[in-house]
Amino acid sequence: MAKKKKRTVVGSPLTPGLLRELGAIREFAFASEDFKPGGNWVNTYRIWTCHGYRESGNYNVGFVRIERAAGKSKEEFMLIVQQQVVQVDGILNVIDAQMICLNDQLASPIEWHLSSRFANPDGRAVSELGTEETVLIKGNVMSVKAGGRSFKRKVAGRPSCDWCLFEAVQRLRFDKKSSLAFDILEGLSLLKEGQHLSYRGVYPMKIGGKEARLHRFDQIGEGVLPYEYWLDDKHRLLAAISMHKAYILDERAEKIIRQRTEQVRKSYERIRSARRKKN
Amino acid sequence: MNKESKTELRQHINRREFIKLGGSALAVFGSSVSCKSVSAAKQSRKLKPKNILLIITDQQHIDTIAAGGCRHVRTPALDRLKTRGVSFTESYSSNPVCSPARSSIFTGRASSETGVHVNNLPIRSDIPNLGQWFSQETKYETVYAGKWHIPRSFTNDIPGFKVINTGIGGLGYLCDTVTSRACEGYLRNRSQSRPFLMVASFLQPHDICEWLRLNTKDPGQLRYKELAGELPELPDNFQFDKNEPEMVKRTRQARDPANANWSKQQWQYYLWSYYRHIEFVDAEIGRVLQALEDFGYAKNTLVLLTADHGEGTGHHQMVRKNTLYDESAKVPLIFSWPGHVAENRTESFHLVSGLDIMPTLCDYAGIKPPKNMRGRSLRSILGAGIFSWGHTIITEVSSNRGRMLRTPRYKYITYKDDMVEQLFDMKDDPGETKNLATSSKYASTLAEHRRMLRDWESRLDVAPNVPNSDIWRRKG
Repeated sequence: MAKKKKRTVVGSPLTPGLLRELGAIREFAFASEDFKPGGNWVNTYRIWTCHGYRESGNYNVGFVRIERAAGKSKEEFMLIVQQQVVQVDGILNVIDAQMICLNDQLASPIEWHLSSRFANPDGRAVSELGTEETVLIKGNVMSVKAGGRSFKRKVAGRPSCDWCLFEAVQRLRFDKKSSLAFDILEGLSLLKEGQHLSYRGVYPMKIGGKEARLHRFDQIGEGVLPYEYWLDDKHRLLAAISMHKAYILDERAEKIIRQRTEQVRKSYERIRSARRKKN
Repeated sequence: MNKESKTELRQHINRREFIKLGGSALAVFGSSVSCKSVSAAKQSRKLKPKNILLIITDQQHIDTIAAGGCRHVRTPALDRLKTRGVSFTESYSSNPVCSPARSSIFTGRASSETGVHVNNLPIRSDIPNLGQWFSQETKYETVYAGKWHIPRSFTNDIPGFKVINTGIGGLGYLCDTVTSRACEGYLRNRSQSRPFLMVASFLQPHDICEWLRLNTKDPGQLRYKELAGELPELPDNFQFDKNEPEMVKRTRQARDPANANWSKQQWQYYLWSYYRHIEFVDAEIGRVLQALEDFGYAKNTLVLLTADHGEGTGHHQMVRKNTLYDESAKVPLIFSWPGHVAENRTESFHLVSGLDIMPTLCDYAGIKPPKNMRGRSLRSILGAGIFSWGHTIITEVSSNRGRMLRTPRYKYITYKDDMVEQLFDMKDDPGETKNLATSSKYASTLAEHRRMLRDWESRLDVAPNVPNSDIWRRKG
């Protein structure tokens, strides 16, 4: 009988230093001189997960690409988001969102179009699982058009959104005294109340042999494990870590996930073939 | 045997006799049952819900619903289910480990019978699962989203079900979101003409296992200082009896808090974090319930929510599962169907188990369950609240080495080759802190519980692959 490989428990919460130790990153993609948080940019984050062991079970499961289009208006801007998550046996979920956000501290979304699509292990789209919705927030009312129907839901104040916070933290001042209280619509749909976002300080660290200074914001609230947002001096968000999930800024993220999807699907095909032979 | 125990047992045996007698014995309970409620139940019995939604969470402690009195969480979706239905307080897993518990939920058979005595084993091939049985006996479209784990945790191939989403191992955070979106998509797009049986199987709050591996070391201070005033208090039964069965001691010793000698604050931080996992899955459940409402299914769908097993949450200084104390063995069990299942009723009298789910769903679908069900249909309790039985619950654990027998008053626990047995008075000591098994005062109660366990064992059709199957008949 094959001996079980010994695994070492990580033991401590994930940090940028630990991400490097565990092989999740080689180095961070620090911002160039001309990076402007309030301008036009695209940040793509690889979604890496840790199952709590050093030796195994840690891998990339998806990416989220966030594009900011400033436009002419000073009051509003646009965020275009795509998130892909590849699951066991190669089922892929793709979320696309185009949203108009207020240029406020939390990038509050006020109007958006959201779609969710699935592809099965052989790569074909599963039309009966797709959803689309258009949403407009006016005052305390959220008007939703989905599946040929219209709904009205109440919202209190102006909720932010988890993807919007990736944009918003880049525009916030590094100020320990400020703390923001708000609600979020996670994935532009699930209301999670009582969120707080605070600047924690600057953390000098050595990454890839280089000295670096990373700034940290923490988000704590209902229905989420605390998020830690790590930014460089230019206010570019390099990583967001929530418990065992890390969003890591990485321009190769989409390619990596395409490769992983292929791998997972091939592995599933092998399982199916083996089963067919057995039967 | 003391007088009180005798009375309890007599009541218990009477209830068992009642089950054998069936409905004609209702008169035994006199004023407990009104004529009106009986007639309502009879009427309800004729109706079938057009659709059935079975929601399963993973590793959910029974006391994690705000509407049920948990002060540490905000759970609007679970609250909605609870206030619109019947929730059981004495609801047990058939085996507080993922795969074994799931094998019982989906077959109505003890885990020693399904052959799934530990994780990652398949259900034995001559026992049909819920999807196979419904596909064969009904017109329900059977669909599945999320964690399966019998044997693979996540798979696109589940016998009897059309899989609409698989999931991601050990990552409820992303997997549950995709699962609820798949369920939402299915509900939005399907033709309403054909009834469905949909399983939405969420992984959370199981991610607490990953949390534990990332927080084993006690840093001596809170990572988020502002939580200091918000941390939940430790449970009343945080301390534990040192004279426990060896298996229980070993389970505790092998786990992170004992290894790292956690401070009170680290225990509290673990609890705080666990409750955030609960809120997370609540929101995903909320998405599915909202889709039922928005797309016209809510009135004609029977919704059932349960979990495979509980979570230690610091009771007896335990984390995770795999023990027979209530924190691990009890699970939420809620049924809701507007107009047909009583609203906002907390059911504390009946002892129920994951074994009851298969026969209950078959009853609602108007079909006979497969043979040799070890549980019973709960339908008569859910409709009009008929006082129908006392029931005993048996829970298995530890690769067929541990057994728990719960009667209305007592809980009896025994492990293979371990002289230490446990007997708790669940009325006077619901925290399971005083083991009465060594007290001569309870000798006859203990003997009677051993006998009831032997009776149960003698009826089982144990799967050939299950170890230790011969030992139980020798016990006592």
